[in-house]
Amino acid sequence: MIPEFEYAAYVWSSYAIFAVVIAWQALVPFLRRRRLEAELREERAFRAGSYGEQP
Amino acid sequence: MSVFHSLKVGFHRLGSPPNFYRLCTRLAPWLWAGFVITAAIGLYQALYVVPPDYQQSDSYRILFIHVPSAWQALAGYAIMAILAAIALIWRIRTTEILAMACAPVGAAFTLICLATGAIWGKPMWGTWWVWDARLTSMLVLLFIYLGIMGLYAAFEDRRKGARVACILVLVGVVNIPIIQFSVEWWTTLHQGSTINLFGESTMDPAMMPPLIWMTIAVKLMFTAVMMQRASLDLIDQDRRKRWVDDAIGAQA
Repeated sequence: MIPEFEYAAYVWSSYAIFAVVIAWQALVPFLRRRRLEAELREERAFRAGSYGEQP
Repeated sequence: MSVFHSLKVGFHRLGSPPNFYRLCTRLAPWLWAGFVITAAIGLYQALYVVPPDYQQSDSYRILFIHVPSAWQALAGYAIMAILAAIALIWRIRTTEILAMACAPVGAAFTLICLATGAIWGKPMWGTWWVWDARLTSMLVLLFIYLGIMGLYAAFEDRRKGARVACILVLVGVVNIPIIQFSVEWWTTLHQGSTINLFGESTMDPAMMPPLIWMTIAVKLMFTAVMMQRASLDLIDQDRRKRWVDDAIGAQA
């Protein structure tokens, strides 16, 4: 299933770096969106005078 | 004339934050889906289909991620420079934000390029790193990307930060031809161009498909992340405006 390569450690570590960086690029906007939406919800609740209440 | 007019109107519509936000959030998932499909095909071919190289054996498989990342690092900079020029000349805020969103993704691809290049260099050249023109100019590109990100983040006024960073983007353009032609202008340990769009490539045609698929994949991924980052930056800047309330409220 997993191909056996010469220089396998070099090949797989390169592909691992690629995967980690791509995953990191996907994760950062996702986390930032979550944080921003939470902040905006809080701001909206604050403006509406319902800050601190359970949604 | 009518085509030109509709293009112009479309371009102006994109300058409107709600339209721009909608476009980014609708397109990004499709671009990510495209990335997943093309990268799956590319990776499968790179790891399972193409034969080992007669000189480099399997180590050359690293190039299927190294080369597309390097191309994207350069293409990303070119896109950012065009957007920065438009932003500085016509003061279009969405273009400014888009230009700034290119920098972290471009930096990520430069990082992949440098790291995978070093890993390939160890078994093939016998060293992780040499200070030759191609490698050094690529490292300078990473520093320029980081400088742009730092400058943009350093200003309380995001628009002022973007304008100053856009000027740095245009100054940094000088590095792009240096990277591209470094292997011709100087004697470098890094090999010359193997793939030539306007002439004969010296790479075996059997090895081309994974390279093409991975190149398409990273382009789709770059555009997806650029749009996601730009749409979030826009929300952050406009957080007190009604359209943000409407857009976020509609999704919640």
